[in-house]
Amino acid sequence: MAVSSSPEIRVRRPNVWQQLNQVSWAWRITVVYLSIMLLIPTAAMLLRASTDGPVRFWQVATSPIALSAYEVTFVTAFIASAINGVFGTLLAWVLVRYDFPFKRIVDAIVDLPFALPTAVAGLTLATVYSDNGWIGSLLAPLGIKIAFTRLGVGVAMTFISLPFVVRTVQPVLQEMEKDVEESAWSLGASQFQTFWRVILPPLMPAILTGVALGFSRAVGEYGSTVLVAANMPFQDLIAPVLVFQRLEQYDYSGATAIGTVMLAISLGILLGINLLQAWGRRYDYK
Amino acid sequence: MKPWRWLKNTTRRFTALFLAGISLSVAIAACTPNANTSGTGQQGQASTVDLTLVSFAVTKAAHDRIIPKFVEKWQQEHNQTVRINASYGGSGSQTRAVIDGLEADIVQLALALDTERIEQAGLIEPGWEQEYPNNSIVSQSVPVIVTRAGNPQNIQNWQDLARDGVQLITADPKTSGVARWNFLALWGSVTENGGTEQQAQEFVRQVYQNVPILTRDAREATDVFYQQGQGNVLINYENEIILAAQQGGQQLPYVIPDVNISIDNPVAIVDRNVDRHGTREVAQAFVEYLFTPEAQAEFAAVGFRPVDASVAQRKEVADKYAPVNTLFTVQDLGGWDTIQQQFFEDGAVFDQIRAGN
Amino acid sequence: MTISNASNSELSQAQEPARHQEGKIKYILIGIALLYLALVLLIPAVNVFVQAFQGGVGAFLQALQTPDFIHAAQLTLIIAAIVVPVNTIFGLCAAWAIARHQFPGRALAISIIDLPFSISPVVAGLMIVLLYGRNGWLGPILEAANFRVIFALPGMIIATAFVTLPFVAREVIPVLEEVGTDQEEAARTLGAKDWEIFWRVTLPNIRWGLLYGVILTNARAMGEFGAVAVVSGNIARRTQTLPLFVEESYKQYHTQSAFAAAVILGCLAVVTLVLKEIVERKTRIKDVE
Repeated sequence: MAVSSSPEIRVRRPNVWQQLNQVSWAWRITVVYLSIMLLIPTAAMLLRASTDGPVRFWQVATSPIALSAYEVTFVTAFIASAINGVFGTLLAWVLVRYDFPFKRIVDAIVDLPFALPTAVAGLTLATVYSDNGWIGSLLAPLGIKIAFTRLGVGVAMTFISLPFVVRTVQPVLQEMEKDVEESAWSLGASQFQTFWRVILPPLMPAILTGVALGFSRAVGEYGSTVLVAANMPFQDLIAPVLVFQRLEQYDYSGATAIGTVMLAISLGILLGINLLQAWGRRYDYK
Repeated sequence: MKPWRWLKNTTRRFTALFLAGISLSVAIAACTPNANTSGTGQQGQASTVDLTLVSFAVTKAAHDRIIPKFVEKWQQEHNQTVRINASYGGSGSQTRAVIDGLEADIVQLALALDTERIEQAGLIEPGWEQEYPNNSIVSQSVPVIVTRAGNPQNIQNWQDLARDGVQLITADPKTSGVARWNFLALWGSVTENGGTEQQAQEFVRQVYQNVPILTRDAREATDVFYQQGQGNVLINYENEIILAAQQGGQQLPYVIPDVNISIDNPVAIVDRNVDRHGTREVAQAFVEYLFTPEAQAEFAAVGFRPVDASVAQRKEVADKYAPVNTLFTVQDLGGWDTIQQQFFEDGAVFDQIRAGN
Repeated sequence: MTISNASNSELSQAQEPARHQEGKIKYILIGIALLYLALVLLIPAVNVFVQAFQGGVGAFLQALQTPDFIHAAQLTLIIAAIVVPVNTIFGLCAAWAIARHQFPGRALAISIIDLPFSISPVVAGLMIVLLYGRNGWLGPILEAANFRVIFALPGMIIATAFVTLPFVAREVIPVLEEVGTDQEEAARTLGAKDWEIFWRVTLPNIRWGLLYGVILTNARAMGEFGAVAVVSGNIARRTQTLPLFVEESYKQYHTQSAFAAAVILGCLAVVTLVLKEIVERKTRIKDVE
């Protein structure tokens, strides 16, 4: 695995650039498509956000309600995606490595959060988790209220971001040769050691990718979370609702201002996760 | 190597299947309008005219009954088939869509403020209010107070909503433009009853203190109250409650306060678009048809208060819609521009009472 | 199975208890995973089915026979049929470009590809409106050319492509990195051409990542509501997709037909799983038992 030592890499360097020239069509498509689909629309948003001048931008973007909404959105999304990081990996493991009845159906159902329209998802979650719902009624006697609280927002975010971790870890697990882990095992490594030292490191990039994607999806999600939340400012009002409020007042620049702030924060966090991952891989190669 | 060859073959087969799928879809898509035209061909050699109607969500039930009647009438009178393509959604979203280029010929929105926005965008000519009867108000309703069965809180009027122990479900005026009617009803219940603005503000603050959940729109408020069993009082529109009872079989008692605001939904022709499409004549005919007793009876059937006196006097309609003693309008509160500035802009009254909570 | 049996016989007696323990752990893990899935996903999903069949199978089927539903389903399929291949090609290109090259700003490039997820769908729709709308940058040109993007099929395709843009790339990148370049370079030294290397070496290696990417793209493309709602105009039988149909039925208090359509939507998206099954069978994968 780790044959490619650093001197070799240095020798290969020019080769890499040659390769780059050869496959530049891939680059060209990537860059052009990204620009048209993503960068130009984003630029349109940024320009619209700046039409009212920096003072108003700052006012809208940093009003107390907005600040608390960012906090609710990002912290809840982070927790939800972290939980999915653990359980999603477990699910992927179970689906790839074990056989059990109805496995195919379980596998199929994992994608459901994407396919269900968000309104239906939110409605269903509200129904199931409210005080008189299937799950909510079991928790209500314990004094736990899920729907129409911040917990409900968390549940909705967990729901919609679940497929990401499962589906990013699954292919890597499938590619991973089982013999590596069996040989580690027959060499006398304990289960825990096998998992921690042999299985987890190569899975880590995929898990982090899944968490990053799930996180960003949870941040942007609006349709389902709004139905499970009570939408009370300073309690469980999420930032995308603020965008919608602004739009409803025909305040395009205010809406795009909040959109811009969310975009900047997400980009920062995603960049952090991706750098962490790159750093992790570098460590792996040594 | 073998599995790869397999994959290669499978991929090829899939590509073929996929292409077949696409061509099939395209064929279907191409056929659908064809089927329509051939249908018209059978009805006569007349040409077909397309109208786009953009409206807020709950009018669909009425329009679904009115449109076929109008189409038939037009067919008979002009030997021409009208195809009315309708779009329903939140009033604010629909307004934005029209401003951004949705080529609506006719707009029936939940509040005149939205129609005025389209006017300001230069798509509707000023003076549209005077073009049709009743200041172009085509349908009306009032906010009502829904309680749990047996009315355990004994809620009789707006004032009761400020009491302790009331848990009020209502839509957020910030996300649902239509929910502004609820707020204005509460406010007007004080100011139109001899109270001062300070008193009104204090009252509204107390009421919104009793709100545990602000939903995105009226429909969701109904759902949270009926389906999810949250809260013990709901403010919603009479038409919404009647529709919920008709379609969903959800019956709960409701109170119509005797000092109330009249919810007025205006209709207008989008001048720029009808001129471009050459559809002014048929669009005007449709809007006029909406004011006829036939159409108004359909509005009345699905929960709206009819604007036509002859329909309103019919026994089944008069029984359904109890009269309101003091009915005020947005004009009594200063008109939409003033209202918007005074209550809903950044830092205006609604923000103040929320901050006060 | 045969492989593990063979290695089993080779294992010494001392490791038998460990095997046994593994069995126990296996069931505990399956238990936890399924419990979690049930809480977060399964029970809500069952609830959707229950609501869809509230009025019996007859009412369910009736809900699916309205022209509005049929047209919405067609439109949804057409959009998915266009968006999925386009984004698959882009995703493969982007994944290859990023995973096979080390360059400064690589993490930034990946993060940018991720962005469409974190942009609220409403804002995503708004961006497209700001570009192609009547008052948008390209609005006057499009109007002069009498070509409608927004509130028509092109706009809906753009919106769907926007929100599903990252899936394939993000699924394939980790697999490409995990697989490494050894095999590709071996093939290259044996004189294989780029295209051959991709087709015979890279593609088989990344097939699972690619497949999941396509499945996710398809599911999301069919299920997207927010962004499409902003740019579609929601005209019944014209620009109404299935999710929009669901929303409208729900708003009209036709709760059952809303949920019936939602069930169909779920099933449509899960059809891709059949695809997975076929690929799995045909390629005779032995590493998954």
